[in-house]
Amino acid sequence: MTMTDLRNARMSRAQFFRMMGGLAAAAAATTACSTRPQTTASTGDGQAVTELKFVGVADQKAPMDGLLTAYQQAQPSVRLTASYAPTDQVQTSLRTQLGAGNAPDLHVVYPGSGSAMSMSQIAEAGLLADLSAQAWAATIPTGFKPAFQLDGKTYMYSAGSSVIGAVYNKKVFEQAGVQEPPATWSEFLALCGKLKKAGVTPIALGAQTPWVTQLITYALVPSTVYAKDPTFDDKQLAGQASFAESGWRQAMEMYLELQKRGFFNDNPNGTTFEQQTSMVATGKAAMAIQVSAVLPDFRKAASAPDDLSMFPVPGADDAASVWIPAGVVVGLGVSAKSRNVEQAKAFVDFLGRQENINAWAKAIAAIPLTQDAGSTVDPAVQSFLPFTKDRAVPFMDQRWPNAEVQPVHFAVVQELLAGKATVDEALKKMDEAYRK
Amino acid sequence: MTHLTVDKPPRSRPAPAGRPGPLGRFSASSPSWLFAAPALVVYVAVVLYPAAAGVVYAFTDWSGIGQEMSFVGVANFLTLLDDEQAMGSIGNTLLLTLAIVAVQNGVGLLLALGVHAKLRSRAMLRVVFFSPVVVSPVMVAFLWKYVYNPDPSAGLNGLLGLRVDWLGDPSVALWSIAGMVVWQYAGYSMVIFLAGLEGVPTELHEAAMIDGAGTFQRFRYVTWPLLAPAVTINLMLSTIGGLKLFDQIFAATNGGPGYATETLSTVLYKQAFVFGKFGYSTAIALVLALFVAAVSLVQVYYLRSREVAS
Repeated sequence: MTMTDLRNARMSRAQFFRMMGGLAAAAAATTACSTRPQTTASTGDGQAVTELKFVGVADQKAPMDGLLTAYQQAQPSVRLTASYAPTDQVQTSLRTQLGAGNAPDLHVVYPGSGSAMSMSQIAEAGLLADLSAQAWAATIPTGFKPAFQLDGKTYMYSAGSSVIGAVYNKKVFEQAGVQEPPATWSEFLALCGKLKKAGVTPIALGAQTPWVTQLITYALVPSTVYAKDPTFDDKQLAGQASFAESGWRQAMEMYLELQKRGFFNDNPNGTTFEQQTSMVATGKAAMAIQVSAVLPDFRKAASAPDDLSMFPVPGADDAASVWIPAGVVVGLGVSAKSRNVEQAKAFVDFLGRQENINAWAKAIAAIPLTQDAGSTVDPAVQSFLPFTKDRAVPFMDQRWPNAEVQPVHFAVVQELLAGKATVDEALKKMDEAYRK
Repeated sequence: MTHLTVDKPPRSRPAPAGRPGPLGRFSASSPSWLFAAPALVVYVAVVLYPAAAGVVYAFTDWSGIGQEMSFVGVANFLTLLDDEQAMGSIGNTLLLTLAIVAVQNGVGLLLALGVHAKLRSRAMLRVVFFSPVVVSPVMVAFLWKYVYNPDPSAGLNGLLGLRVDWLGDPSVALWSIAGMVVWQYAGYSMVIFLAGLEGVPTELHEAAMIDGAGTFQRFRYVTWPLLAPAVTINLMLSTIGGLKLFDQIFAATNGGPGYATETLSTVLYKQAFVFGKFGYSTAIALVLALFVAAVSLVQVYYLRSREVAS
């Protein structure tokens, strides 16, 4: 029937209603499909397909894309649909989904206890499936267990650890006549001075992006707090130690000293993470204190990715008491409420195989959780390896008791940078949040 | 061809007494709410009921995830009184609202008077001034992040030769937010004022002119009193909008730097989604809702009393 026929055709009332009824039925059918997603469809050859939904953080896209493809090839009966969002947004949207009872089968989980989407907070609410029985879970190093486990059960998978240090542009260092990375705090200050004299911004700081504000404190606190007292976290939890009366004060003062000496870009509070990245990548600034997991972002923004490397920030004047922050990278959990828990767990088991840990770690410049002959460590983080054995501590928030300390830390750093608060006031606010 | 015909039985229902109106059983004597009933049912089901049901959470300690929840009475409201951050944000909320209400309506009125004049390009200007209203608030915030670039050679700084860190300086950031909100919604106020201006009878202006009134006098004694309903609506809408403002702040500064742009809306959002205190957050939301309702009622009561009929 051509269009003209259709337009001229006469239709009886009965025909009309039959047609409308058909449309309504079709509409009802489509709605039914869209509101109740089918969890099993079938492949061309009649095999049943399980559909799994995965929500990850944007930083994970690079390693996940490759591993997802590999898994689909090995397991054609599973179809994984992945979506990603930046750190700030993924926490909100996932919490909403968890609260509404429609969590994705697999989703991002933050290590430890210090954020709203952290392993222990979600596991306590009974929303994470127990992964303890998987082979890789038996190999978690003791020091990392608080990040992965609650009451002795493993609830999160992670490929390894990342470090916080200075991401720097080798070209800019060379042009300023800097031979090698500094080993002490005084050397670090001298280096910044030299870079400033050479006409480049020594340190790019994008403090408008909240999570960036914490990295300089995190880089310094291992040397100013934990090198002196490795049991600080336990004491703080027991109420015997506080931010205000610890090396945190020194770290904050060092943070501000960098600003006072003019080593940051102008207006760090008005500068974003993306601007920070591009300043270092393009050589406008010499370095940025960042977590190694975002090294790929810096490389992507640079015309010559090999110009970028990292070194540990020395937070002490005695090279032997320089410690570094090394934290478990953002992980992945299986929703306990998923209708396909077993299939979702099988995917995590697949991720836990050594070759897949290696692939994931390589893509985000992380140090693999367990290592074999195939493991590679990104050359940029090689200089951190001597520290990882006994002079490294997890990222501070991973042992904080609630989700409030971290946002308060973000806010007080912004206030300090703006000159609107003193170190005393800042640490007092953090102590108050810790006790909530 | 033969047809089997069956006689239809006569209708058993007696014919209505009067002649049915064009709407059948509905007539001018039907109660008026009946006409709104279908919409009302939908509104109750998808807006009022969930909102009212949510109030229950304000009296619990629910974390937003999981099943565990216990009734805590008015504890959340008492916490609010002690919460320095939430209390501090009330000041910001009020300042921001005041700035937005004053400037947005001032600019809106000027724009309306401008495009009401018999300009050749007025139709196009109306579209131009109104267009920001239809842009998503988050898009506006991202756009203005470029305008507010702290670099002295970029954005607003470059244009005006300034060195202001618009969103990064705690003493400026709140006003920068107000600026972008005014930019977006002044066109909305303009449209409402325009509707008011169209309703002012030309005869009154002519009579005033004959009496020797100048432009300002005609505005003050003819236009302004007759514009009162438009003023009422504009003030009320912009006050409610200002008190509830969230999207632009969230996308531009996330309440920062420090706590400089934290408002009640951003605090309640953070309590629910960042700190995992859904019950407490609902309590703040309830207080905010009651506060908005109270302010609007007072405003309407006061402003209505000075409206005149044309």
